[in-house]
Amino acid sequence: MLVFTRRRHETIMIGDGIEVRVLRVGRDGVRLGIVAPPEVPVHRQEIYNQIRDANRSAADTPHAVSAIAERLRRHT
Amino acid sequence: MTSAPLQTDQQGLDVRSRFATSKVNPRDVLLFPDGLPGYETTKEFVLLDVPEQAPLKVLHAVNGSDTCFLVVDPKAVLPTYRCELGSSDRLRLGTDDDHTLVWLAIVIVSDNGEVAVNLRAPIVINPARMTGRQVMPNACVYPLRFVIGQ
Repeated sequence: MLVFTRRRHETIMIGDGIEVRVLRVGRDGVRLGIVAPPEVPVHRQEIYNQIRDANRSAADTPHAVSAIAERLRRHT
Repeated sequence: MTSAPLQTDQQGLDVRSRFATSKVNPRDVLLFPDGLPGYETTKEFVLLDVPEQAPLKVLHAVNGSDTCFLVVDPKAVLPTYRCELGSSDRLRLGTDDDHTLVWLAIVIVSDNGEVAVNLRAPIVINPARMTGRQVMPNACVYPLRFVIGQ
């Protein structure tokens, strides 16, 4: 892992088009600004992990598909 | 999970899932270039529509994997549902016209029987390119588990 020391308003460049700027340094967190080309997705990692976990739960859905469909029909 | 392996013949692909047995045309295969979070290597799916299971549909892998998801139109769950795509998602789906896209939300059933729908990270399909992607728009205000009442 590369490790840098950066102060407020200083940036790190990744490749040609990705810029990570330190906007604010607080006691509990650092506020970052990211500039990236439109084809590069930028996400908080914990959101990705939550979605991954939700997908794994969803793929393990049990057989009762008719009951699930019925519940959705009642909801709508 | 007990899906039979995929069989191919002249009529098309047989997809047997726990939810349905369907014959699908190879032209109906949707490419998810990045897979789905947790299923990054699963890139080919078909969308199975079984009328008696409406409004549910089944998004089923066809690459030999038996991965499948129950999905539903998020507007069938929440009529006001509206999410804005990010530029990287729009680029990867190969579209600049959001009106032609198909949106689906994954259904999650908990061990306690609770039924929830993932409105935070919907699946978006571009039928013109037969390509799909699970998106997580940064500005999306909907919950990961939108619980459906009893």
